[in-house]
Amino acid sequence: MEPADELTNEEIALELSEEPMRLNMGPSHPAMHGTIRMVLDLDGENLVNLDVQPGYLHRGFEKSCERGTWAQVFPYADRLNYVSPMLNNVGWALAVEKLLQIEVPERCQYYRVILGELSRVADHFTCNGASAMELGAFTPFLWLLKVRDWVWDILERETGARMTHSFGRIGGMAAPPTANFKDDVLQLIPEVHKVVKETEIMLLRNRIFLDRMQGVGVLTKEQALSYGVTGPVARSTGIPYDVRKDHPYLVYDRFDFDVPVGEDGDNWDRFMVRLEEIRQSVRIIEQAIAQMPDEGPVDVDDPRIVYPDKDSVYKTIEGTIAHFKLVMEGLRTPKGEVYSFTEGGNGELGFHIVSDGSGTPYRVRVRPPCWYNLAAAREMLLGGMIADIIPTFGSVNMIGGECDR
Amino acid sequence: MPKFTLDGKEISFESGETVMQAAWREGVEIPHYCWHPGLSIAANCRMCLVHVESGRQMEMPQLVFDEAQGEYVPATKPKLQPACQLAATDEMVVSSTNDEVKKAQAAVQEFLLLNHPVDCPICDQAGECKLQDYYYEHQGTAKRKLTEPVHKPKGVRFGPTIIYDAERCIMCTRCIRVCDEVAKDHVLDMRERGNRNEIILAPGRELDHKYTLMTEHVCPVGALTSQDFRFKARVWFLKSAPSVCTGCATGCNTHADYDPRNGKIYRLRPRDNEEVNKFWMCDEGMMTYMRHDIDRLLMPTEGRGGERMPLGEGEALDLAAQKLKAVDGDKLAFVLSAQHSTEDNLALVKLASALGSGELYLAALGGWEGDDILRSDDNNPNRAGATQAAGGARLKSVAELIDEVQAGTVQGVLALGWASAEQLEELAPLLALDGVISLTSHLGALPAVASVAIPVADTFEIDGSFVNAKGMSQSFGPVLPKPAGVDPAWKTIGELARKLGKDLGFEDLPGLRQGLVDAAEAAQ
Repeated sequence: MEPADELTNEEIALELSEEPMRLNMGPSHPAMHGTIRMVLDLDGENLVNLDVQPGYLHRGFEKSCERGTWAQVFPYADRLNYVSPMLNNVGWALAVEKLLQIEVPERCQYYRVILGELSRVADHFTCNGASAMELGAFTPFLWLLKVRDWVWDILERETGARMTHSFGRIGGMAAPPTANFKDDVLQLIPEVHKVVKETEIMLLRNRIFLDRMQGVGVLTKEQALSYGVTGPVARSTGIPYDVRKDHPYLVYDRFDFDVPVGEDGDNWDRFMVRLEEIRQSVRIIEQAIAQMPDEGPVDVDDPRIVYPDKDSVYKTIEGTIAHFKLVMEGLRTPKGEVYSFTEGGNGELGFHIVSDGSGTPYRVRVRPPCWYNLAAAREMLLGGMIADIIPTFGSVNMIGGECDR
Repeated sequence: MPKFTLDGKEISFESGETVMQAAWREGVEIPHYCWHPGLSIAANCRMCLVHVESGRQMEMPQLVFDEAQGEYVPATKPKLQPACQLAATDEMVVSSTNDEVKKAQAAVQEFLLLNHPVDCPICDQAGECKLQDYYYEHQGTAKRKLTEPVHKPKGVRFGPTIIYDAERCIMCTRCIRVCDEVAKDHVLDMRERGNRNEIILAPGRELDHKYTLMTEHVCPVGALTSQDFRFKARVWFLKSAPSVCTGCATGCNTHADYDPRNGKIYRLRPRDNEEVNKFWMCDEGMMTYMRHDIDRLLMPTEGRGGERMPLGEGEALDLAAQKLKAVDGDKLAFVLSAQHSTEDNLALVKLASALGSGELYLAALGGWEGDDILRSDDNNPNRAGATQAAGGARLKSVAELIDEVQAGTVQGVLALGWASAEQLEELAPLLALDGVISLTSHLGALPAVASVAIPVADTFEIDGSFVNAKGMSQSFGPVLPKPAGVDPAWKTIGELARKLGKDLGFEDLPGLRQGLVDAAEAAQ
């Protein structure tokens, strides 16, 4: 047989198909996070076209909400972005509170901010760790994920659960902060800084990591805007949109923090924005710890909204009735609809809820941030190579529970 | 028509009506416990206090400075009045939601709960209790009284049907008034006052008149509970469907409360109908739901007594048709049922005329005592309907049928329903005939003498109508699904007709009902 290099170009071309190869990636593919199917048209290793097909983790979250009480949505909300469930819990609580036109006491607001920012730290560490792992760097993954475990230790002490806390309540939280809460968080802060530093040492001068991240999966500012992309993905393109800054909720307007933005909108920028956001979250936590009152109520003072304490449920008829009404029929909201949005782990997490005045939601619609981010993923991937799908898709941080609902 | 304004809504009223009554008629609820549209006015619960904003305010002895007038004027205070007793006047402006009223409602509600026991978890009323509803809507505060509540008798047996719990009672006196005004029997009264207040029985009496369950029905809280329903179900698991009582020819409108999880009916409640039963039902009517799943025939059978054997579904109709074919048309007797819907009876009448038999009989229950309150003298819900279905002709009785069987002029019988006043011994002559077919929902004397018994659906499972003693046709729908393999009687009769080679000219219920209209016109 003739050596290949003696063939003319025309002869080689004849042996290759001129049609692009169609390849299915996912939904059961480790890098597709188990729930996304991508149909790829490949010219060699290059992506000619692709179709991103979500929906494999659709559970009917929004419909399910309609058959429970307002409070029974919390466990469902946990399972939206399950990497930072506390942010969803708070988002849902704020939406119903907006409908009820109530505001939780200050102590609760700080508590929600701190728990939420801890979740964001865990969320970003998980995403960045996974990004590194998807490029073959398994050690950084474990190294970063240990911080998530430390955060979860605190959340477990506060809520009783490491992951799906179901800790939010309409008009407050399930329990007040524990006695050691502030100390626990303050002890964690230097450790977080240390691991952020170590991440930089491990990865930022790694040639492979740089080559796979820089200039790969580029999303322009215009594309991000047209797709409705929010969160770290939007900020990496240079859009300084952060709900906490632009539409402050809870007590975010009292904190001094920056919104990091990128320039190129590539994998590298998304990685760096998340890394920097961890630092900013820690800044917020530090200020919130300093400002949070140690005493005072956590729940609003209205037995028609907040569950009465068990002692009064067992011993007084008023408590029994309040408990019965809230559990069996649900708290009554005024007729109307609201859109309430917060900064989730992946961007603007919105709840549009409609109430017919009864104890159950009439309609719930979630704006899951990564739904929009995922829609833009096609733009990031087109023209790239098949191997780039993995880090790029990872840095979009699609969370099936939230995206498919 | 004169009008008044309640919370910004215009409500027209007839002269003599109270604010509460006019609002109730318009579908606006002013919170109340003791007022009931069917009872006299007691005005003792004070929950319906409203503020007549257009009226003269109560003047106080103190003076306050009025800037507008530039002088001292007597201070005024809003005077709240019970809406249930307040006669509506033209152009009156009433508020049931302003701050003063809200304060009063919250205070009344708090007083009512002052000594209330923590019974919701074991109370049958929980879930449909006014105390719970109004606590959430009008009070919403934690308990302030921290001393031991006043204790009173619990679980007092008032009679065979009612248990009384004095601690839960709010002394609205609805039960006393229901006995006085509906049952015309002053068997309940009240003793003591303040927090020793208690409902008591008349000395030497039990609560045992024919409308005792109405006391439980009107009780806005869980003080009176029905022996029958007690601890059987939690009301939030029950669903409700409208139905018509099968107890007598009055045809009281009912709500049938059933549990969709096990397909069981747990109770009946009167459904308001001014023309028929107003707000009430008698005890026996309330208990007719129990018939539904006792002694049901769920499978066709052949043979009598100890030789009775189950049959396959298709087999039964074939066998019935075969047995009917063996008898000449003019020797066949068709027994209508006063317990079955007009539609079922009409289908049977149609079959009778298709087979050339003019002999129609009517089986009906007896042994019942009517009164001049609600209970009709006839304890069959649809005697009039069956007669109407037969085109108004006189229907022979089952006693006449027995005579004719003995005389040999009747040699085959097709009987609808289980109900007959005649007992097994009296029906014994029918045992001599081979062709006695029974279409029945339940076991009974008529099915017992049948050579073939075919199950049909019960009143709670079908669409149909009853004609009551006043001649009013009242339709009802299914509450529960039919048992497997069981059809409404009219449908089974249609199929039986096809087996006999006859077409009765209807496919569905609307088609059959058209026949009813024709029959009514023919009767005129």
